[in-house]
Amino acid sequence: MATVFMKWLESDPSDYDRGISLLTLGRLHRVQEAIAQRFVLPGLRVLEIGCGTGTLAVMMARKGAHVTGVDASSAMLSQATRVVNNEQLADRIDLIHMDASLIEERFNPASFDLVVSTLVFSELPPDEQDFVLQACARLLAPGGAILLADEFVPNGWLQRVWYNMVRVPLVFVTWLLTRTTTVPLRRPEELFRRGGYQSERLLTFLGGSLALYRLLPAAEMPGTDTLPPTAVGHLSHKPSLRTRLSDVWALFFRIIPPYPKVRPGLYAVGQPNRGSPVLVTGNFDLTVRRVVGAIDGAVDAWILVADSAGINVWCAAGGGFFTAEKVIAAVRSSHLDEVVDHHALILPQLCANGVDGWRIRKEIGWGVHWGPAKAVDIPAYLSAKRKKTDAMRWVGFPLKDRMEMVTVTLGFYGLLILVPVLIFWRSLFWPITFSLLGLSYFYGLVLPWLPGRDGLAKSVPLALIALGGLFVYTRAFDPMTALGMFNWVLGLTGLSVFSAAELQGMSPKMRGEQANWGWEALIAAGLGLLYWLGPLALGWR
Amino acid sequence: MADPGLWETLTEHLELARTLRRLEISLDPERCKGTWQCYEVCPVGCWTPDRTHRVVVLHDIDQCIACGACVLQCPEAAIELR
Repeated sequence: MATVFMKWLESDPSDYDRGISLLTLGRLHRVQEAIAQRFVLPGLRVLEIGCGTGTLAVMMARKGAHVTGVDASSAMLSQATRVVNNEQLADRIDLIHMDASLIEERFNPASFDLVVSTLVFSELPPDEQDFVLQACARLLAPGGAILLADEFVPNGWLQRVWYNMVRVPLVFVTWLLTRTTTVPLRRPEELFRRGGYQSERLLTFLGGSLALYRLLPAAEMPGTDTLPPTAVGHLSHKPSLRTRLSDVWALFFRIIPPYPKVRPGLYAVGQPNRGSPVLVTGNFDLTVRRVVGAIDGAVDAWILVADSAGINVWCAAGGGFFTAEKVIAAVRSSHLDEVVDHHALILPQLCANGVDGWRIRKEIGWGVHWGPAKAVDIPAYLSAKRKKTDAMRWVGFPLKDRMEMVTVTLGFYGLLILVPVLIFWRSLFWPITFSLLGLSYFYGLVLPWLPGRDGLAKSVPLALIALGGLFVYTRAFDPMTALGMFNWVLGLTGLSVFSAAELQGMSPKMRGEQANWGWEALIAAGLGLLYWLGPLALGWR
Repeated sequence: MADPGLWETLTEHLELARTLRRLEISLDPERCKGTWQCYEVCPVGCWTPDRTHRVVVLHDIDQCIACGACVLQCPEAAIELR
């Protein structure tokens, strides 16, 4: 599918650090310094949840603490490992690759004096926030505390208006530059109280939107029997105005954030029981509705919605947003083993490019079965006792999907091209619009029969057909001046390359030519140059 | 090109495009234990299970879209993409 988009999302750790520093206007560093200077003593056992690239872990280790840093991203951790080794602090910092939802299983009770976490909770789905806070209470030694710094939505409405005025453009710029973004927490005091803590706000920055809280376990710790019941919702296939609007949005603007999301957690479809299958999926609204639509009325099942950042499972897995860690976190925080008697997860086959099945089997002992590629095949797959036919395994690119993907591409890139044309070149708006739509849909129609392995190669026959059409048109109806003809040839060539190259990223049958835009830019620059120089050289202007 | 960053980004992406086009999967038959995870997850049908010898056969390399699913799911690390 949208592999262009997928590659673009794949930000690396240095992007992340730059992004966060931009989003917090550099204040995060001051929060980290405050933590290390004011709360860390030599010999203190510190657990840092989400240590990222290791900045804070190093500061705390320099003060003499023994730091255990965990992070769900192996890319972040390898960067952190380099930093720790450079600082020669490897004897005081342990770095472990795991999701926050596993801390309780991995560490002994009462084994830390301080738990520190900066800008992590706002990244966790709500069910996991509760789960991790409760786990921390059991890991803290008597007298221990949590220091939690994060982004918060300010409480007063005036501050909120001011906050949004600053934040919205900042978020947009940061996303474009670094593909990093965050979703600030709302009403943190409630979250802390639910987790069984008394909270105290120690520091605030940026008008309250970045704050440091100290959490102390409340006198009465919540026992296991007072755990909140597993967050189970019920999903059914009910088309409504909202779902239809969401479908229309998805048809044209699927690749523009914010993506319509479903709250991660465990959901029931039909009347599932302790033996019913568990289907895992991502939290893109359209994906969840397609899965529910495929099985509602046919099968009773549990649907475990894991956090895929609101992106479809294939792209999210390819871009590193849907991982084994996310699935593990969803299993743990939904208390799935208390809901069903078996230990079998059915994963969508198309997330196998990013969700490491063996990691799930090893970490939590749940079996992983790769379900069908398309949700519509789930009932047949289940009734065949989890046996897939090749047809369920293989992904085609039938006409309906091709037309859908052409529309998705045009929704975003069409705007990008046609809005400037409308503003600066109004007289050409309709000819260009018709050419772009005509070429794109024609390309979608004939794609399987055009020679060439990838979109760039296929753009050559497409351009030839377009130019043939132009030739016939001018011969039959509307003889043009040489200059007019010249401009049309350039324009149609450019649009052909664009249509063919862009659809490639949306096709499951062609290699993700994530980098086609490099060629597109070069070709566009070349055509632009010809547009200016050609007529001069030929003496038409 | 006034902005050197732009030029750098462009050449970087052209290089990436070249690499992607050239990526090929290869199977180390010595390591294959016939778990057929690659066959289970391949969306384009590059793999065929050989049920008599309990191994997998890479039968159609031209279909490969370099998604990397088989590489990630192979428990024996028998598949490479490069």
